[in-house]
Amino acid sequence: MSAPDETIHQPVRLRIMAALTALSASDEGLDFAHLKTLTGATDGNLGAHIDHLAKAGYVEVSKAFVARRPRTTVKASPSGRAAFGRHVAFLREIIARA
Amino acid sequence: MTISPNEAGAMLADVEAIVARVKRSRIYRQSSAILMLWGAIVVAGNLSCLAAPRWSGVGWLAADALGAAATFAMLRRRSSPGARFPSRFLGAFALFFVFGFVWSELLGRFGLRELDAFWPTLFLFGYALAGLWFGAAFAALGLGLSALIVAGYFWSGDWFNLWLAVVNGGGFVLCGLWMRRA
Repeated sequence: MSAPDETIHQPVRLRIMAALTALSASDEGLDFAHLKTLTGATDGNLGAHIDHLAKAGYVEVSKAFVARRPRTTVKASPSGRAAFGRHVAFLREIIARA
Repeated sequence: MTISPNEAGAMLADVEAIVARVKRSRIYRQSSAILMLWGAIVVAGNLSCLAAPRWSGVGWLAADALGAAATFAMLRRRSSPGARFPSRFLGAFALFFVFGFVWSELLGRFGLRELDAFWPTLFLFGYALAGLWFGAAFAALGLGLSALIVAGYFWSGDWFNLWLAVVNGGGFVLCGLWMRRA
């Protein structure tokens, strides 16, 4: 049996990765405000989890100014997509074995 | 780390719910500009019917052709490189248009007021159907605006075109604005 991914296992990070990998690899990603709505996390909490995922190389963060406002966009990296796929497969394996 | 089957099931359900929300949100955001475009066309078309009723038929044909071309261009611009030609959209639009033409012009012999009510409710029926696959907001838009148009048909008197401009056109614009932030 495969092992869980300790980074993705945390509920907010699991939601972040689920949201980001729902987009195609060519998509530009999701902005911070949209991710906040989707995950139900607070600003600080979401920022900390995104940093954690970025340090693991699972997401790419880009910052830009759009209409004079700062905009943070987060996108799943290829290794993040692969890790998320493995973690979901691991969860399915647990259910299948029950 | 030990994860029970129940915990795993809950996590997978969470993942599926988020994925569904992201996909729905993507569809809403991509549709928002198209809805606002059609809202503007509906407002302009109905106001021009009020101002120059004799030219309403030609005016609507031109407005619809412009709207269809602009919608097509927006769909093409947003599709990923190498994506298929959006022939389904064109096919659906053509089918609705032909169905509407056959009933309103050949079989139904509708009056001007009936035509003004029939065409928007026909296409709103399409939105209601789309809601079954692409998100409840489309169904709410289709059914809600249709009900308001029918109400206006019976009770708005001589101001039916103004009613359509405000309710139908305004409804599309408001729904588009809401979808942009969904």
